[in-house]
Amino acid sequence: MLMRLLFDLQFGDRIVTLLAALVLVLQIAMVAQGWIVAHIRIFAAQSFFLSMIAATIAWYNHAPHIYIAAVLTLVVKVILVPILFERLVVRMEIQREIEPIVNVPLSVLISGGLTLVGYVVAESFYRPGAAGLGHNALAVAISLFLIGFFTMINRRKALAQVLALLSLENGLFLAAISLTYGMPLIVELGVLFDVLVAAMVLGILVYRIRETVESMDVSRLRRLRG
Amino acid sequence: MIERLIESGAQLFLLLALAPLVTGFIRKLKAKLQTRRGPGIVQPYRDLGKLFRKSMVIPETASWIFTATPWILFFSTVLAGMMIPMVTAEAPLGLFGGALAVIYLLGLGRFFLALSGLDTGTSFGGLGSSREMTISALAEPALMLAIFTVAIGAGSTSMSEIARTAIEQHWRFFAPAQMFAFAALALVLIAETGHIPVDNPATHLELTMIHEAMILEYSGPYLALVEWAASIKQLVLMTLLINCFWPLGLQPAWSGFGALWGIGWLLAKLLFLSCAIVLLETTNAKMRLFRIPELLAVAFTLGSLALVSTFLF
Repeated sequence: MLMRLLFDLQFGDRIVTLLAALVLVLQIAMVAQGWIVAHIRIFAAQSFFLSMIAATIAWYNHAPHIYIAAVLTLVVKVILVPILFERLVVRMEIQREIEPIVNVPLSVLISGGLTLVGYVVAESFYRPGAAGLGHNALAVAISLFLIGFFTMINRRKALAQVLALLSLENGLFLAAISLTYGMPLIVELGVLFDVLVAAMVLGILVYRIRETVESMDVSRLRRLRG
Repeated sequence: MIERLIESGAQLFLLLALAPLVTGFIRKLKAKLQTRRGPGIVQPYRDLGKLFRKSMVIPETASWIFTATPWILFFSTVLAGMMIPMVTAEAPLGLFGGALAVIYLLGLGRFFLALSGLDTGTSFGGLGSSREMTISALAEPALMLAIFTVAIGAGSTSMSEIARTAIEQHWRFFAPAQMFAFAALALVLIAETGHIPVDNPATHLELTMIHEAMILEYSGPYLALVEWAASIKQLVLMTLLINCFWPLGLQPAWSGFGALWGIGWLLAKLLFLSCAIVLLETTNAKMRLFRIPELLAVAFTLGSLALVSTFLF
């Protein structure tokens, strides 16, 4: 029974769909979360489920190079980046509350609307005859992408914007593995390295912004300083 | 006919007897996690027994609503409980549209409780009623959307039909629509039963209390009825959640040995859900009242996503 399930493509599709739904729920939870440390942890959990999706797709499509992408996601996005950011939060003694521009209930409703847009867009990519996993995963990926954009616009503080950017990148990763069963490994490696470097550079940048203008509120950057 | 009566009697007994136990267990486990000793698991039974033996004080300003509310609340909650499949997929009662009737029977009880809070004319009662209605106005749409999603999956709003479909399709829980509906219903469960991110049942602090503020004027047997109804409501919502989404061990029909097996599974699942609730209560701080709409907006969004995604796939 178990052996049969391990090779049943349809069961694999169900697992991917389930994990993708969890990723989407976590993205909406991120929009609703008002506390930066919890925000970072939700991002870590989301990345964990993402690497599980990658591993599942790798197993059911016999594509061993996706395992490497899954492990790298696990190491970089679940362990390194959250630790980096949490240390940044502690070191800078920043205000722990995120103040979104649009209030939370409305932003959650907008995210729900964006998810629907994501599903409608993904529907046009779908052909009933086409074999393979992850038709839902594509819809979730597009929704992650849109909600990530919206969250970036919706945040004032640089660190929260960086987190939104990273969750947007999660959407890209999900789209890549669900559509093409993984980009070539070298691209995958490049993207992950980029994410790590971006996180570090942005971390330093956030620190510098704060040093110079004594706030992380990016809207203050518009003012000139002599 | 006799069998139907026995089944109904058994479910009624389970509902009345199990509800205080679940409340007591949650309190005990919470105390343990906070390294307090806490009252025993059977303390809610002792409380009910004590309250039923006491005489009561009725405020001079109270009208008939005040005396009618405990009865209406208690019987509407028990009636809603009789329409939920607990041990087997066959609920003893299946009146007026099943799931809708369950939700609105619970709504009827809450409506009268809010009225009785206003009825005595004290400021605390009014405050509690206004807060309760604020929360329920936001929680009810989310609950409805989640239930509709489940009902569409089963092709019927009858609770028995929903439970039968759940038994037949074990893997249905893995559909994203069901996941969203489950998450929405879990958030509504927290809000409706007054657990910590929303309401703290253990406090009588005027700034935070919601449910306690409404029933502040009740004493003696009436208070016992109200408290008992509150724990039955909690049991009903918990059973609704576990039997719609985790049908494991739910029996298709009553039979001697099967019923015992079903009760065992029900207890195990309730135990698991109670542990989850306690974990949530101890790891979270209570939300400010004005932050509660944020939580319920998440529930509402999940509920509407659930309903829409049943049509998309």
